[in-house]
Amino acid sequence: MRHYLIAALTSTALVSPAFAASPQEVAQTYVELAAAGYGDSLTTAQALQTAVDAFLKAPSEETHAAAKTAWLAARVPYQQTEAFRFGNPIVDDWEGRVNAWPLDEGLIDYVDASYDHSQENPLSTLNIVANASFTLSGAQVDATNLTPDFISGTLHEVDGIEANVASGYHAIEFLLWGQDLNGTGPGAGARSHTDYLQDSGCTNGNCDRRAAYLKAATDLLVTDLAYMAGQWAMGGEARSTITADPNAALSAMLTGMGSLSYGELAGERMRLGVMLNDPEEEHDCFSDNTHNSHYYDGVGIRNVYLGSYTRVDGSVVSGPSLSALVASADPAVDAQLKAELDASVAALGAVKAAAESGMAYDQMLAAGNAEGEALIMGAVAALVTQTASINRAVTVIGASGVAIEGSDSLDNPGAVFQ
Amino acid sequence: MIRSLARSFAVTLCFATPAWADFPQAVSGHILPGYANLAEATGTLADTATQTCDMAALRPAYHAAFDAWMGVQHLRFGPSEVEGRGLSIAFWPDPKGSGARAQMALLTGDQAALEPDMFAQQSIAARGLFALERLLYPSADLPADPCPLIRATATDLARTAQAINADWQNTYAQTVLTAGEAGNTTYLTRPEVRQALFTQLVTALEFTDDNRLGRPLASFTQPRPERAEAVASGRSLRNITLSLQAQRALVLALTPDAPLTIAGFDHALALAGALDDPTLAGVATPEGRLKIEILQQTIEALRDTVLAELGPELDVGIGFNAADGD
Repeated sequence: MRHYLIAALTSTALVSPAFAASPQEVAQTYVELAAAGYGDSLTTAQALQTAVDAFLKAPSEETHAAAKTAWLAARVPYQQTEAFRFGNPIVDDWEGRVNAWPLDEGLIDYVDASYDHSQENPLSTLNIVANASFTLSGAQVDATNLTPDFISGTLHEVDGIEANVASGYHAIEFLLWGQDLNGTGPGAGARSHTDYLQDSGCTNGNCDRRAAYLKAATDLLVTDLAYMAGQWAMGGEARSTITADPNAALSAMLTGMGSLSYGELAGERMRLGVMLNDPEEEHDCFSDNTHNSHYYDGVGIRNVYLGSYTRVDGSVVSGPSLSALVASADPAVDAQLKAELDASVAALGAVKAAAESGMAYDQMLAAGNAEGEALIMGAVAALVTQTASINRAVTVIGASGVAIEGSDSLDNPGAVFQ
Repeated sequence: MIRSLARSFAVTLCFATPAWADFPQAVSGHILPGYANLAEATGTLADTATQTCDMAALRPAYHAAFDAWMGVQHLRFGPSEVEGRGLSIAFWPDPKGSGARAQMALLTGDQAALEPDMFAQQSIAARGLFALERLLYPSADLPADPCPLIRATATDLARTAQAINADWQNTYAQTVLTAGEAGNTTYLTRPEVRQALFTQLVTALEFTDDNRLGRPLASFTQPRPERAEAVASGRSLRNITLSLQAQRALVLALTPDAPLTIAGFDHALALAGALDDPTLAGVATPEGRLKIEILQQTIEALRDTVLAELGPELDVGIGFNAADGD
């Protein structure tokens, strides 16, 4: 459960001293960063769509590799947008469509005999690719056509179970890579391109339906990202919500930074996997891309604070920052938080570097891998540390008179003195 | 300059936090005794397991240890967060059944894994109170003699509890009590401690709402009584009651001046006390379900009261917590 830090500051939110950067300017930077980030997420997903189309048209090792490369590239901007998720209900309500995780992949396609049927999910081994209909609560469901509408409207979170992830990056990842059957040993998912051959060379059966699913899921991802890019473009609702109430924007920014740092990334995605020694607990578990996903989450958190984002084309979007706003109220808090954000990005960078040198993230989770555990827990510690300073930034901005909830002080400046 | 004056006034009010009950009282009267109690109860359980594998002797000691845990399980910060200790004492919910799976491997695998140093490296899902519950109240015949694993699990649990207790006694209480003093890099101000404790309270109420009650309630058309907490040992309702009592005690240690909050706890405790349904099996019957839903709504209202009354009283807002995120 999340909190939007709204109640946090109302008791002290009374005055507005002069800031180096105004809340309005900082909010403006924030929406520009979000627009650029979701815009890049959309264009890289469109590149993935082109690569998937080419792969399905002529499945080969080369076209398969190109599709996987495009998926990896698409993750870079998207993960940086995760800092916009918590704090913006428009994003948070939508996020499950594109980045839901972890998933019971047996819902979608064939799985190895070692795959555990989930005790709490009767559909965890449904294998919709192999079944053109299935039974749900006693009723027969037609799955003849694997369309985007079927995936989003029927199959996603079917039976009210969150692990039934039918759409988004991780469903596509599974369809491209397949299960990683190496446990905490070296190696990622090793699905062959022949799973998509539309002739007698088809492996594992139902290549036509598998191809239809991959196509539909990829098209759906593009549609979903186009929706969110529109939310942050000129006239979009997420954008206008923020710009209409800059003080609420500050709350959204800090909530997003803190919730992603602590509960989500440090806790759910990193520490839990170490504590369970479970390779299923890695975020990009099929592709072994988890080190990048975590790293770009960390970069995204820092982007929001520093008011700067480096786009996929190398250009930089930047403007008056939350950092400047905090610094004008309490330079020590700002300096500490900036240093801690750099430290967490560096610690996540160390995980990334180790993975790129041959120790994949799932290998780090192995029981007894002290070096891997130290790398992950080092990043966890850095994220937990910065969360305390994000809390302090909330207090500083509140104590300096920015009503995080806004409203009263904006709509009726006199009200706060009554 | 009216604005500056208003601000000074607000700051003055902030200093009016009562001195006769505050976080030092929470440390000395609630946290330290709570962890000492946990260390003692888990120590007794480990001693019992070393001497016997008689379920009639083990089960009461198990319940006493679980009761002691409920006195501190809402305190998810400091020493209980180090090395995932809190999670290794109580890993629940476990929707994927990670614990049962890992325990099967331990039951039938190399017994060297049961040595204390090795056991401490095992998955948190295979350790702690819920792992013991699966051995003391097995749902089916176990594939091997559980006694060595029971002993190893109880010993590990006691070691973990002792480590938390020792850290609080030896260092962390001092860290908390010197909040705001030069050299304290954990708590830069005294309000940071109040905020940490306040956040634990709110998060703990949400945990009871979402998990202890929300999981078995599930949906009206598909209630999930089997998903209640500690069903096998019959502790589902008891855990809710004990957690509410512990949180109420923490509030009283922090301030004498939160009457609505205390009344809210009393109301929830009265409802829980009147509920004759130890495992919350009633979620599957219309009348039983209604009572459990009313308890859930009461706890949700209590959370709102805590935010509205206790937050301003302590002059802090909710901070980030481990339950943020999915």
